[in-house]
Amino acid sequence: MSAEELVELNNQKRDMLNQVNVSYYEDMLVYIRLSYDKSDEESEEILMELLDHLLEAQAAGKTAEEVFGNHPKHYADEICGELPKMVTKKRTLYILMSLFYFVGVSAAVYGLFDLIRYYLFNVGDDVLTINSGTAVVNTMLSLPIAFFFINGLIRYLRWSCFKQISKVLESVIFGLHGAVSFSVFFVLIYFMPTFGPSIDVPIYVTFLLGMALCLLGYLTLKAISK
Amino acid sequence: MSLRSQLLKGILEGCILSVISRQSVYGYELSLKLHDYGLSVSEGSIYPVLLRLQKEKWIQGEMKPSPSGPNRKYYELTEQGEAALAEFKSNWEGIKKPVDALLEEER
Repeated sequence: MSAEELVELNNQKRDMLNQVNVSYYEDMLVYIRLSYDKSDEESEEILMELLDHLLEAQAAGKTAEEVFGNHPKHYADEICGELPKMVTKKRTLYILMSLFYFVGVSAAVYGLFDLIRYYLFNVGDDVLTINSGTAVVNTMLSLPIAFFFINGLIRYLRWSCFKQISKVLESVIFGLHGAVSFSVFFVLIYFMPTFGPSIDVPIYVTFLLGMALCLLGYLTLKAISK
Repeated sequence: MSLRSQLLKGILEGCILSVISRQSVYGYELSLKLHDYGLSVSEGSIYPVLLRLQKEKWIQGEMKPSPSGPNRKYYELTEQGEAALAEFKSNWEGIKKPVDALLEEER
């Protein structure tokens, strides 16, 4: 069975867990799935085995804590430690896909913003002047920054898995994370000096290029799950 | 890792190999069998071991329908697994007698 089919089956079977067991199990599930450098088939297989085991144990009147112990994080770490790494080819494809999507979505949103501004509000120009040097440096710097913020978010999510964090505190954390990452990108783009030969392109080109990159990202994703 | 838990892990590995060598089992079944022999390990602790044994290529899992209906991952021993089990047995024999004798004398 493929990872996708196992995820689907897992969603169905999880409904049969009682409330106490489902919360224990789902913490473990999120934690293991967020260790994203591990083979996803193997991760889903072991998650299915753990779920099957828990369902049988539940039928015999046992709780998740009795089955997996009272240190769920420690147990999940042990499982993750034994999971094989994702194969390099797949990992490369995932990185490529993220690149396509990240640059694609940024360009499409930027282009769409220009299009709306010009055609709906008659503000700005229908030609965009791109300073090649600035554009290249901005893109090169954006990638590691985006990686840094996304990685931070995943780390936070893993850390918070087995803890009870209030919804309010969580919203504040996510809000701050969003604000800080937005500011960093804003500062980068606003203060970067313009340099390099400039090219004039019609504004719809940025939008179309972005959409094309998103399509490439989508195709890469399809290739991965094959 | 402490010597104690290293030791227990090695022994649990050997016991799991031995159960699987007799018949192919799935996780829950395996934990019941170990329990039947009086090995009171926590049920969950078999899964990290099963993952490790698969990485060593001593066992391999296959999805098969179980008697009760749903598909289960059944484990069976590989050739390397047979060899590993034989090695565990001879190691165990080598350690069991002297340790027993030593502990007998102490009484």
